[in-house]
Amino acid sequence: MTKLYLLVATVALAQDPFTETVLPSLKRDCQGCHGAALALSGLDLRTRESLLKGGKRGAAVVPGKASESLLLRMIEGVDGLQMPPGGEKQKLSPAVRHAFREWIDAGAPWKAEGPAKWTYAEADLWAFQPLRRFASPMTIDGFIDAKLRERGMAPASKADRRTLIQRVTVDLTGLRATHEEVKAFVADQSPQAWEKLVDRLLASPRYGERWGRHWLDVARYADSGGYSNDFERPNAWRYRDYVIRSFNADKPYDRFVREQIAGDELYPGDAEALIATGFLRGGPWEHTAMSVEAVTRQMFLDDVTHATASTFLGLTLGCARCHDHKFDPLPTRDYYRMQAVFASTEFARPALPFLPSELVQGREAEKKALAATHAKALARMADYRKLAVQNLLKKHGVAREEDLPKGELAQAMNTGAGLEPLQFEEYKLFQKHAQIYKESLDRFAPKAFAVSSGPRDGETDGGPALRYAARAKYVPAGVRILPGGNVQSPAEAVTPGVLSAPEIVGGYRAVDIPETVEGRRSALANWIAHPENPLTARVMVNRVWQYHFGQGLAGDASNFGKMGKKPTHPELLDWLARSFIERGWSVKQLHRQILLSRAYQRGPAPVDAALVAKQDPDNLLLSYFSPRRLEAEALRDNILAAAGELSFDAGGPGTFPQISEDVASQPRHRMGSLAPPYHPSALRRERNRRSVYLFQQRSLIDPFIDVFNGPSLDLACERRVASTVPTQSFTLFNGQFAHDAALALAARAAKESPDGIRRTFELAYARDPEASELTEARNLYARSLAWHRQHPAPKPPPRKPLIHRITSELTGESFSFQQEESESAYEANLHPSEVTPEVRALSDVALALLNANEFSYVY
Amino acid sequence: MRFATPSRRDLLFGGGMGLGSIALSSMLAAEEGPLTPKAQQIPAKAKHCIFLLMEGGPSHIDTFDPKPKLAQLHMTRFQKERNKFEANMNTGERYYVRSPFEFRRAGKLGVEINSLLEGFAGCVDDVCFYRGLKAESVNHPTALYHLNTGTQFGGDPAVGAWVSYGLGTENQNLPSFLVLPDVAYPQGGQANWSNGFLPAHYQGTPLRSQGTPILDMAPPPGVTPERQKMTLEFLSGLNRRHQAQHPGHADLAARLQSYELAFRMQAEMPGIVDLEKESPETLALYGIGEANADADSLGRRCLLARRLVQKGVRFVQVIAMGWDSHDYIDKAHGSRLRAIDKPISGLLTDLKRTGLLDETLVVWAGEFGRSPDNGIRQGSTAWGRDHNANAMSVWLAGGGAPRGAVVGATDEVGGSAVEVVHPLRDFHVTLLRLLGLDDGKLRYFHAGRDKQLSQVGGEVIRELVA
Repeated sequence: MTKLYLLVATVALAQDPFTETVLPSLKRDCQGCHGAALALSGLDLRTRESLLKGGKRGAAVVPGKASESLLLRMIEGVDGLQMPPGGEKQKLSPAVRHAFREWIDAGAPWKAEGPAKWTYAEADLWAFQPLRRFASPMTIDGFIDAKLRERGMAPASKADRRTLIQRVTVDLTGLRATHEEVKAFVADQSPQAWEKLVDRLLASPRYGERWGRHWLDVARYADSGGYSNDFERPNAWRYRDYVIRSFNADKPYDRFVREQIAGDELYPGDAEALIATGFLRGGPWEHTAMSVEAVTRQMFLDDVTHATASTFLGLTLGCARCHDHKFDPLPTRDYYRMQAVFASTEFARPALPFLPSELVQGREAEKKALAATHAKALARMADYRKLAVQNLLKKHGVAREEDLPKGELAQAMNTGAGLEPLQFEEYKLFQKHAQIYKESLDRFAPKAFAVSSGPRDGETDGGPALRYAARAKYVPAGVRILPGGNVQSPAEAVTPGVLSAPEIVGGYRAVDIPETVEGRRSALANWIAHPENPLTARVMVNRVWQYHFGQGLAGDASNFGKMGKKPTHPELLDWLARSFIERGWSVKQLHRQILLSRAYQRGPAPVDAALVAKQDPDNLLLSYFSPRRLEAEALRDNILAAAGELSFDAGGPGTFPQISEDVASQPRHRMGSLAPPYHPSALRRERNRRSVYLFQQRSLIDPFIDVFNGPSLDLACERRVASTVPTQSFTLFNGQFAHDAALALAARAAKESPDGIRRTFELAYARDPEASELTEARNLYARSLAWHRQHPAPKPPPRKPLIHRITSELTGESFSFQQEESESAYEANLHPSEVTPEVRALSDVALALLNANEFSYVY
Repeated sequence: MRFATPSRRDLLFGGGMGLGSIALSSMLAAEEGPLTPKAQQIPAKAKHCIFLLMEGGPSHIDTFDPKPKLAQLHMTRFQKERNKFEANMNTGERYYVRSPFEFRRAGKLGVEINSLLEGFAGCVDDVCFYRGLKAESVNHPTALYHLNTGTQFGGDPAVGAWVSYGLGTENQNLPSFLVLPDVAYPQGGQANWSNGFLPAHYQGTPLRSQGTPILDMAPPPGVTPERQKMTLEFLSGLNRRHQAQHPGHADLAARLQSYELAFRMQAEMPGIVDLEKESPETLALYGIGEANADADSLGRRCLLARRLVQKGVRFVQVIAMGWDSHDYIDKAHGSRLRAIDKPISGLLTDLKRTGLLDETLVVWAGEFGRSPDNGIRQGSTAWGRDHNANAMSVWLAGGGAPRGAVVGATDEVGGSAVEVVHPLRDFHVTLLRLLGLDDGKLRYFHAGRDKQLSQVGGEVIRELVA
């Protein structure tokens, strides 16, 4: 039987004629002439007040009296004058006109008033209910096996040891076990072998890199701001390292949540907690001279509201931005109440000395090279400035710069007077580059990418200054409900608050949020990271389960509402969440619990494929372990690891991999100019770091990561997809990265063993080759060797200067210029011309091994 | 990951067919894939779309919507209040500025267009101009995202991705959605042709003008087809053995199939991008070989777009940048117009004479229009126009759009659309409608709700459908 809940909330109704029809029509059909840009006849139709006031012809609306209201008479065309103009064709539809009539007759409420009744099925509100209590001790397998028995399905038997060690090693570290590790585990017959393995992997620093990457997906992490300038966020990497450290240190999850939402307020003086607040600024954001401040501020507020709710609470609160949530008990009012929590949150980039664990040492050469590149761009600017000075001196017939009319030179360098348009274009280009390099130099500066309650240091994320009040006079902007999400149509004011549904549905008490500048986020963080919050622990436990099994117990990790998939094992989810809280929110304990279960250790094929295809095609009941493809980063890291090229240098500013030359040299538009060229890091050990440490530029995603379904960086990614598209084949079979790695793998194998072919198999697959494989590999090797003996590899061509062409905005004509070269001495990858024909032939074998399905799938 | 009973495809790939085997394509076509052609939801003429994206915001006032009133108001000064809903750029001391261009009447309707568009003047009877569209953002990247993906935030599927999702594509050897960028990637980068939350099959694939057309389509220098063939044979054996150990694991077969498709693409693409197969007369029609390098480059992309459409590609986006003329609009827009005239008129003429125009919708649009006024930067000759989301000109041709029509109007200075005014989402709904898709039905469930291109629904702009 389905019990129905009734919620009563004073919020706009979804079916309300105003929000559904009247307001959109006012915006679409009327405000073009009677709005922000124009107010023809003195009439402004953007607010209720201005409608009541009306224009030259008098009040537009008489509340309660539609027929007497000029607005309605106009849209009906009853007085011989019709709005919008344009005859019958332009006349608003009868339905729209009817909605206007209804709305005016109802008193023309700008916000819909009066209680609205909401009806939800209990099953759709499961996530808001308190966690179940369990009287007797339970186990994961108890829950899983009971369901299987119910459906008459037999679980697969335990996977073999080789499969198990690969599965768990990739799962916990993102890297495959080596051949030596596999052999040792297969040989270890002690009953504790599995437990020991799990503990060893959980203690590895590679663990935090793997699980930190999962969190960064959800946290929409990037090292740049996106949009037109895509300015670097030079200190954002400290948040990335903080996340990795937190996982490695098994920081209690409730503390991890508090730090990210309100670390600055709750733990003053704690460096980690300040860095953690970088989470709040993670979304794409930009403010330029062409932006509207109210709009860009609202963009931040919308992002942070949505990100906080979806990351920690698994709710699609963003849906309630424009209207009450259509499926979940999330009224628009709640959305803006939670947004008001962040109304006093401002960007900050305070000085914060590096922690001992933050690796910025060893990067001096990189910093020096960057400074030199910056200096060169400044020098190029100075050249043009000199030229402009000469031209202005000539124009004014004076001899010295100081004799020029005051402000003339500054004005000229701003507008281009004094230079030919194309000269000015180049000046602007180097000015843009200098600005970008200057920002990049801050990577090495001990500052935190953070927030503060109230303005602190005028941080603007690279853009022009924002109009802040001085700190002493600062009053947080009031937050109003924005029907339709439109910042220009503010309605009712709201006070900061938490969501109402957990209390109304499940009895988890809402808390008051102070209206002071400080303390708002602390109160929210404490409400979220509370053992009685029904969502927080469930959401995290489910995320962890999803990464282990490929799917969550609840199938949509960031949507625990009606439209998200219902949990397949709701009791198990609750039991795990309880136990997670009881064990001090320890994520590592949670891993252990899951990994030691039989469910995790099952074989990768069903016992009865036909039955499974019929009863449980998506393996939701976990009768076997679902194989999966390596994610983009894991694929890259494992290729480098096999090749012996993976660097375990950890932390510090993001490094730059060697990406496809074609992508690297692709000109990229930056506002008003072109981006500087892409320069890979000079040293191999920097370029070949684990993918989590690579610089994440929103407008230039590493094409290797991108093609294997990497996250977009603009949106949170709750779960990677593994679609298979032909461009992936191009990347792995033709791409330079794969060829370089295959050559390095071959050189390594040849060096490590007299039987290079066998060793290549061991390094790539951590197993001995089968006899038939060995025969085929030797066959390819022989044919390939014959070819390579006849075709010596030519030396790499010298690097050509990078010439870019751009269309001048000033003249509309194209011009070319030479992009800056890197100031670092480049340590090139191994080149075919440097190795023997034998190694080159072996690299053909290696390339095939890296391309084969066995390399990409984990069982 | 699903287990499946072996399909014909598994048997083919498991049964020892070598990679690169062309014979497979017809046998595979019978099986349903993400790009299998699908029926239109509503009967419509257009089967393909060529979207000519003018990046930077072309001025409607100086192209297709002349405003003689501005000649009277020229250099009239006014003060625009700085308020929180205006960008800094658009406030302060402002001057109305006249268009420096001459206009000519073209076509049966005598539509006034910029006189520099000599070739395009001959195509006007096939074109439907629309002057009622409004954008929302005055910032390039957000406005570009809005035009290309329906939202101002990057990360949602592009129009071409939605269309590919709705209709599939006719040629299984080529991507369904191709992008022909200008020399530089636009602001906001590749998110402008993203598949967003739709499966990766629908992502726009940029075709590069230099090097191999698709990234890594050719191996590094020194890797000959002979060497590749040897490696592939070995690879095929590895995969066969692996699959035998994991029977029923459907993804393995899909991955093999994608290698097959990649190599068919590798075989087919060079022939398609080779424009030298076209007659000198056709090349000249598009302005290819002209001294004007920009015309030559855009002409090549327009001709390539026609060739792709001919090969069954569903959606081609051609990008022409450089329209952001805040200063020197006479020079800047003048040179843009000279650069696009032959390529776009060549495209329309060529589509028409090859019979493709009926089934190909051609769209010409920038991310917003430009303002009638300008903050003067450098005396009286340097003026240009700033961004304007309230008015713009776009046009449609072919594929079920009206032939020879002007729809909507802006006010007397071109500051704002006043007739047949519609927001961008209605334009998107209309484009889908012209391609036989219903925005209300073309939905994809993601993150807990049914998503659609228009976000919240919209209406077809009836006047833009013949």
